[in-house]
Parts: sequence; structure tokens; C-alpha cells
Amino acid sequence: MDEEPERAKRWEGGYERTWEVLKEDESGSLKATVEDILFQAKRKRVFEGHGQVRLGMMRHLFVIIDSSRSMEDQDLKPNRLTSTLKLMEFFVEEYFDQNPISQIGIITTKNKRAEKLTDLAGNPKKHLAALKKAVDSTCVGEPSLYNSLNCVALPSGTDIKEILVIFSSLTTCDPANIYELIKTLNALKIRVSVIGLSAEVRVCTILTRETGGSYNVILDESHFKELLMLHVKPPPASSSSECSLIRMGFPQHVIASMSDQDAKPSFSMLHLDSTGEPGLTLGGYYCPQCRAKYTELPVECKVCGLTLVSAPHLARSFHHLFPLEAFQETPLEEYEGERFCETCQGELKDKCVFTCLACKKVFCVECDLFIHDTLHCCPGCMQTDRTS
Amino acid sequence: MKLNIEGLLVYFPYDYIYPEQYSYMLELKRTLDAKGHGVLEMPSGTGKTISLLSLIVAYQKAYPLEVTKLVYCSRTVPEIEKVVEELRKLMDYYAKQTGAKNDFLALALSSRKNLCIHPEVSSLRFGKEVDGKCHSLTASYIRAQHHSNPSQPVCQFYEQFDAVGRQVPIPPGIYNLDDLKDFGRRKGWCPYFLARYAILHANIVVYSYHYLLDPKIADLVSKELTKKSVVVFDEAHNIDNVCIDSMSVNITRRTLDRCQTNVETLQNTISRIKETDAAKLREEYRRLVEGLKEANVARETDMYLSNPVLPDEILQEAVPGSIRTAEHFVGFIKRFLEYLKARLRIHHVVQESAPQFLKDIYEKVCIDRKPLRFCAERLRSLLRTLEIADIADFSAITLISHFATLVSTYSKGFTIIIEPFEDRTPTIANPVLHFSCMDPSIAIKPVFGRFQSVIITSGTLSPLDIYPRILDFHPVTTASFTMTLARTCLCPLIVGRGNDQVAMTSKFETREDFAVIRNYGNLLLEMSAIVPDGIVAFFTSYIYMENIVASWYEQGILENIQRNKLIFIETQDAAETSMALEKYQEACENGRGAILLSVARGKVSEGIDFVHHFGRAVIMFGVPYVYTQSRILKARLEYLRDQFQIRENDFLTFDAMRHAAQCVGRAIRGKTDYGLMIFADKRYARADKRGKLPRWIQEHLTDGSLNLTIDETVQLAKHFLRQMAQPFRQEDQLGLSLLTLEQLQSEDMLQKIAQIAQQA
Repeated sequence: MDEEPERAKRWEGGYERTWEVLKEDESGSLKATVEDILFQAKRKRVFEGHGQVRLGMMRHLFVIIDSSRSMEDQDLKPNRLTSTLKLMEFFVEEYFDQNPISQIGIITTKNKRAEKLTDLAGNPKKHLAALKKAVDSTCVGEPSLYNSLNCVALPSGTDIKEILVIFSSLTTCDPANIYELIKTLNALKIRVSVIGLSAEVRVCTILTRETGGSYNVILDESHFKELLMLHVKPPPASSSSECSLIRMGFPQHVIASMSDQDAKPSFSMLHLDSTGEPGLTLGGYYCPQCRAKYTELPVECKVCGLTLVSAPHLARSFHHLFPLEAFQETPLEEYEGERFCETCQGELKDKCVFTCLACKKVFCVECDLFIHDTLHCCPGCMQTDRTS
Repeated sequence: MKLNIEGLLVYFPYDYIYPEQYSYMLELKRTLDAKGHGVLEMPSGTGKTISLLSLIVAYQKAYPLEVTKLVYCSRTVPEIEKVVEELRKLMDYYAKQTGAKNDFLALALSSRKNLCIHPEVSSLRFGKEVDGKCHSLTASYIRAQHHSNPSQPVCQFYEQFDAVGRQVPIPPGIYNLDDLKDFGRRKGWCPYFLARYAILHANIVVYSYHYLLDPKIADLVSKELTKKSVVVFDEAHNIDNVCIDSMSVNITRRTLDRCQTNVETLQNTISRIKETDAAKLREEYRRLVEGLKEANVARETDMYLSNPVLPDEILQEAVPGSIRTAEHFVGFIKRFLEYLKARLRIHHVVQESAPQFLKDIYEKVCIDRKPLRFCAERLRSLLRTLEIADIADFSAITLISHFATLVSTYSKGFTIIIEPFEDRTPTIANPVLHFSCMDPSIAIKPVFGRFQSVIITSGTLSPLDIYPRILDFHPVTTASFTMTLARTCLCPLIVGRGNDQVAMTSKFETREDFAVIRNYGNLLLEMSAIVPDGIVAFFTSYIYMENIVASWYEQGILENIQRNKLIFIETQDAAETSMALEKYQEACENGRGAILLSVARGKVSEGIDFVHHFGRAVIMFGVPYVYTQSRILKARLEYLRDQFQIRENDFLTFDAMRHAAQCVGRAIRGKTDYGLMIFADKRYARADKRGKLPRWIQEHLTDGSLNLTIDETVQLAKHFLRQMAQPFRQEDQLGLSLLTLEQLQSEDMLQKIAQIAQQA
């Protein structure tokens, strides 16, 4: 299957009057409008330049996934649960890609209770495995918003600041008054955001409004993905939160080969509590403080509690602080100059060209998207930096 | 903002205005200019009240000689309070803009029960008790007795008011019921009588329909309102029924029994007084000879019974000799009572006109028409003479005397139906005499005749031409306004078939059909799974609801629904229903979700709003036709056909559709609100039904939403709900359905506005 997120099937979607959108140009051709529509679709991107705001870089996010009966609904293919979990895998990967020093935890709720799928941890692999396993679980009963939120908010000491709820059901079965809990969450300054899969539910509206989160309802699968991606970027930190210094360790990766006589295979500390078979490995990362061994980064040291990261991880978070400014958009007709894209060297054929404000280099739409979404730095500027 | 409505400067207390409000004010202004009556339909939640108030107040300020008073009639106390609050906002805005001190007097008026501040009296629970108790403390002879015998209790608040209240006018300002009470407490004056006195010189009066329409009350309260008043009936879609109810009388055997006791009491009192104070009775006799005019000197507190619409000439005449003395009158009433008793002792249904009834009564017991006509007046006089303080006990005999007067006064527009038993329980004898008014124009005619402008307005008045016909008046403007929307926030769907293609309808022949009931159940089940928070479902009648719910229970549908939402049911018991409503709202609030099963024409369908999450969908099961087998209705239909040339079917459909529109309209209470409106009956798809829905609903009924199956409905509903859940801000509305002053003044907007109003 292709990677493009599938839109809802034609016959499932609403009755669209596609012909009314099309308009003939002077020559009677439809081509221009069709191209325009395609172009708009490509450019559909959020250009919310944060400007100079503080971002919470160390994120602790709990995702609550509703897996009640309503998740078996087949309006997302093959059903809501599978689709959600697939998107969640993507989300987890993207999340750690963009927030390498953050942590995530996953909770599912069904049958009126909440269950921790994975604990708060900074390593994507465990989450991905758990998500893959969860596909086979059955969806029964009703979700409980109260229980699952309580499950997160209850253990004091952890500094959870964000909760994302993926809520498919229209009802929640709560053991106590949820408005009390919302007050508690508010006092703890926890931001709760909700993505609804079916319709706007009052209690979620209140929940998100009171805690300062966002509430969105999906239209179809691609919209779902878009909404999830909104949560990848770190949210602006509230002004009241203090700046804090964090101790971090940057362990060296020790590579030992079998031929090396001194190397002894050892267990990784991570295997202490995992149920998977413990593997003896030779090399690894050694905590600079207590010399405990880990095979993967980033991780919080089991022994001394030090956050272990690698330097490139930290560097990747950097771009959130200095986001690349949006390129200036100019129509092709008005643009005078060489009609070649700076990066892909292709001919500029689209309606608009994009100019970097710093280096005045010109890019095509595709490259513009690539630069802003993936590279986060302008290749033109990099080049001029080096040459100068 | 300040608006210029065809040369009239109107202060509007908000920064933004809906285009339809502007259009509404235009039409209203034209109506006032023409000094005529108007029928205006505008959807609820588009700010009807404030448009009305701003324009009429502006008009009053601009032409103080043309329009001196605004009489705003609403239905319930909460609605009255809402109007006063809007008015207060408007007046604050005036004060802020012009800097001048407010010189307007506006007040709300309600019953004694809502206004009394007497510690003992106000603690009584029922309106009737409060009225009775109040009367026993404030009647003129009680107060006279108090003079000679200070131990006789009187109401000190009334005494205070009577002593000084009339000389000092109440200072200008806006008074709702609580403000009046506060004012009364501060001054020690009775707020009820204060308000009743103050409406004579107030600029704006807000009160209930009944103060104008019910002749018994109108005569007391609204008699002296000036001709140069503008009268507004808000939420007036049921105005014809209010008129009819105020003129109709039902007499059961219980009424007669109680009347019998009343008569005995009267008789005893008369004989006692005769022994002690014969002069008093002689005095009364003398007065009656002189004519009723003098007796009619209004002493406002002597409210034994008020006058059903008596032609003025009767009041000039003297009471006929046969009932002048007290004993004769009691004898007369006794005879009349015996006659009624005999009439109720029947085994078959009798229907006759008023002249027939008069002829029959003359033949059987030799009662003439003339004394009958004076019955109500004579009883009133007698009760006053006998100084019977507690009038609450005498409601039965009062009712009978009303009936006597009405039946002998009106030969047309009324019918008498005597039924030996109820249709539902043919074995239990429960004879009832219905004296039923069939012509709503009788009660409202004095209103149209007396005031220069009467505005009838509501969210659902379609089809507009029928109201002028049944109320018998000639409006200068009739217009229907649509709701301009930035997003289509209402989604009317007509579901005609189940998934098995069986037609869904509440038609009499198929309503017991198993498949129909099952399909209705499936519809509710499917909707309960996709609609968030609250769903309100309306049935055509209580019996139908009971049957369906019972059969759903047997089929297990109810159980399945309860997995998605809680179920609450409206019953005929008011306390039970308000409890259910409260719990329903709680369930909607905390995310549990709930369904309220209720009945069209019931309390829920008329008075309760389901804003936002309290009603995301309304399902109307069947077409709410009125029970057509009832004889009263049949008589009324016949009358409409003969007098107004309205075909029976037209009227029935009109009546059913206005109630259906009322029901589904409960869900949308503003432009930020949204809701599904599901009409579950295939008959709605027919042009004659669809065409009678208000224009603002019809507009959104496309061909694609007619005669759907349940599956299709679910798909459309899902899509709609997701669309509506997308963020919606005020900026999105601005310029389309919400205008600033500059936008309003632009040329093409004015053109668009011109299209909003559709003249009928």
C-alpha cells in the first residue's frame, strides 16, 4: 500500500459538489482550477511561527487511548482501533524525533477502567512494541475518563504536564464527579488535550477549556493524522514555570569486539524489569556517574536517576527554539530570475516560488515543504555560511 | 451601536447586529408607521426581543405622542424576567450614550403569588390560596370592619399603599418582579397593587397573555390602557388556543356538587343576615333596581368574579326583576343547577348550539334568556353584599354563573357538548359538559379593536396567512425572516424508511405495526450511538409513547439504547417531569449522555430550551396531529370551515406542523448552537407538510434529505456532527451573519438584507 493516508471512500464521505468548485478559465479549460486545488492541498500547512516564546522542551506526555466498544466502528479503516494505533506508532516515532529528551506514556481505557499500557519512558521501542501488541486486544465496554485521568494525576511527584486523550466514545462512565478532578488537574497545571473521533462531547469541551488544552474532532483519517501531528511540537511553556537546570549525562558508546580479550558480555540495566529475554551484549553506553550499562539512549539511569542522552539528541531539539522562518511566497509571473530550484535543480513550474528571506535563494513548493518540515534549516543559508 | 432605520434613530445595545434583526426592525417600523397590526416570524435565538424593544423604545422617544405605551405579553414568568433584563441593558446603553437620566418607567406584572410580600400570605403554595387569603385581608368591607373593630386583621402593606402609594408615583426605572418586591418592602407598600396601579402610567409593561386575553382578568387589569399602545405577543404561535381556553367552560358532576354546597351556604348566610341585618339586603335590592352601572364602580380589590365579555349596554340596564332579591336569585341558581344535573344524566353524547340550549332550558324549567345574562353580575353583587371573605371556595358557583352569562350572550362561535363518559373509558360514567369556544377571535377582538398596533411574533408562525384568518384581523405587515448563517448549523432530515424499507409513519392504520415500532426503535438506537450528550425525542401522545416504549422493552431495544445513554421520560406529573429534566441535564453535563422521551404539546415541547449539549438532536416520531376524534375539535373544524373557509385538513396539518416545528426548534437556540432535526415519518416529505414548516427550517431541507433510510440518516448525521465540531469563532461569523455598523451600511449588505424578509 502506498504511504499516502487514505481519504475516506467516496461513498462514505459527504455529498460533494465537486463540479461547483471547478471553474473554466477564458479558454474554457479546467486545467487551471484543477492545478489550483492540487496546489492548495500541498500548501496546507500550519504556519504558526511561535516567535519568541518559551517552549517546554522536557515534555512528559501521557496519551490516553480509548479502547471501548466504539473503537470497533469501521468509519476509519479497517477500524478505529487499528487505525488509531497505526497513527500512534507514527506519532511516537515523530514525537521522539522532534523531542528527543522527552518522555511518553500510554494508557488505555475500556470496560470502565484504565490500564497502563506503558509507563513513562523515553525510549520509543518499548512503546512501539506495546502499541503493536495492543492491536489484537478486544474493545469492550465503556471508557472512563475519570479513571484514566486519575491514573495519571494520582501519583504525585512525577511532573506530568501534558495529557493527550484520544476519545472515540460519546460517553464516559465515571465513579465520581469529573468536575472535581478537572479542578485538581487545573491546580496541578496539567494541560489536557482531546482528539475526538466521533463528535463534540460537552465534558471534553469543559475539560480542555479549563486546563488550557486543545479540543479537536477528526473529519477523516488524514485530518486525524494532522491533528495528532499538532501535538508533536512542544507547547509554549506557561510563564509561571521556572527555568530549571537539569543534570544530564552524555555517555560514550564503548564498542567492543568479540576479538577483544578484555571485553566481557554483560546485561543492560534496562533488562532488569523487562520481560523480554535478557541479551548479553558486549558494548554499550555507560553512565558517567555510576557506570551502569545501557544499550540504548535516551534513558534515565536506573541506578542514579541521571538523564542520559547523546549530544545529537539535544541538538535536534534545538530547531524548536529557532524555527526556520517561512519563505516569502511570490507568484511565478512576478519572479524574475533563473527558473531553477536551488535544491532539487528542477525547473520552477508551480504557480508560486519561495524565497528565503536571509539568503534570497529560490525554492519550489516541494522543497519548501521538505525544508520546513524535515530539515529545519535553509540549505542556501548553510552554503553561504560555509563559503563566507 | 446607533442605527438609522428609515430615518429613526435606534440605539442598539450591542456592538454587532445580525442582518435579520435589522430587517426585522425595518418591518416593525413600517407597521408602527401605518398604525396597523403585524405578524412577524423570526427564528428563536436571533435576538427578537432586543430588536423589538430597541425599535419600539426608540419610536416612543421619537414620537411620544404617537405611541405612549408598550405592552409586552409573554408566556411564562422566566420569559418575562428575560425581557426585563434585556430592557435594562437597553436602558443602560441609552443612559451611557445620551448621558441623560432615564425617564422611562418599565415594570413586570405577575400574579399575587409572585409579588406578595405579606409574610403569612406569601408562604402559601398555590396561586388560588394566595389570591383568596389576600382578598380576605384587603376587601373593602373587611377594611371597613377594621375601622370599627381593630382586631379584624388587614394587610398592612395594602393599607400603606392605599394611604400614600397613589399620590407618589413610582420613580422611573426598570423593575422586574424582585425589584418591585424590594421597592415594596422598602416603602412598606404592597407590590402587587402598586404594580397594578403603576401600569396605568408606565411606559413599558411586561406581563402574561392572560392579562389581556382572558376577559375575566383583562377587565380588571388592562381596562384602562390607552389606545395609543403597542401590544406585542411574543411566542404567539399558540395564541388561538389561549384565546379559546380563556372563553371555554367545562362542567363536571363534581363541579355541580360543589356548586350545590355553595348554594346551601349562600342560602344559610342569606337567612342569617335577614334576621340580623335585613336593611343590607334591601339596600342591595335598591341598588340593583337602579342598574348595574353603579354597582360596577370598580373597587379593585373586590374581585369576586370578574366580568366575562359583557357588552356595555348590559351594564347600563337594570337587573331583571326575577332575580333581584337574594332569595329569588338563589332559587333561580338552584333551578339552573337542577337543570344542568338533569342534562348530565344522559347515556349518549349530545351536541347543541347555544340557542338550542336556551330554548330547551326555557321549555323545561322556564328560565328566560335575560336573567341568565345577568347571572354573573348578580352573583358578584350578592357575594359582596353577603361579605363572604374567602372567595376561593366559591369557584364552582362562579364558574356556573360564567357559563350562564356566556351561553346567553353569544349565539355564535360556541358549542355545547355533553359527553356521558370519556372515550378511553366507556364503562365509567363521568359526564362532562363542555361549553367550548370555537372562535379565537372573540377573545382577541377587543385587543385588536382597542390598540393601534398589535404585533404577533414567534419563531414558528408558518404558514403566516392562517393567523390573520383564524384571529380575524387585517395585518399591514406579515413577514418571515430567515436565519443568516456562517455555517449551516441546523440539519433537518426526513427519515421515511427503515433499513428493511418498511415505511416509517405514525399513521393510525400502521402505528401498531410491529415493523414500524421496531424501525423507530432502531432509529433511536443508531442515533444514540452517534449523537453526543443529549437527545430529545418527541412522540405524538402519551398513550402512543407508552405503547412504543413498552414494546421496545419487550424487544430488548431499550436495553441496547441504555448501553449508550440514559433514558428519561416525561410524564403527566409535573413534579416527576421536572425531576427527570434535572437529571437529564446532569447526565448531559457530565458526559454520560441521555435521552429524554417526551410528548409534543407537552410541557417540555413548549417551555424548555435545550441549548447546546442539552439537545444535539431532536427526533420527532410521527406527525403530532391533534386527537381528531374529539368532538370539541370536530365542532371547531366545522366552524372554521363554515366561517373562515379553512378546510379541515389544512387546519389539522397546520396545527400539527406548528407543533412539530416547535419541538424541533427546541434544539437551536442561537447561531453558535447546532443540532440535528430528525422528522421520522414519511409523510413529512410531502409538499403539503413540508411547505408548512417555517422558512428557516425549509431552507435547509434539500432534496437529498427527504425520505432517507436509517443508514443514510446515520451517515449524514455523523458527517454533520463532525463538521460542526470544528472550531468556530466569532470572526467566522463577522461580515456574514454578524455585522458591525460599517458592514451594515455597505451597499450590497443592504441589498442582501432586503432579501431576508419574505412577505407572505
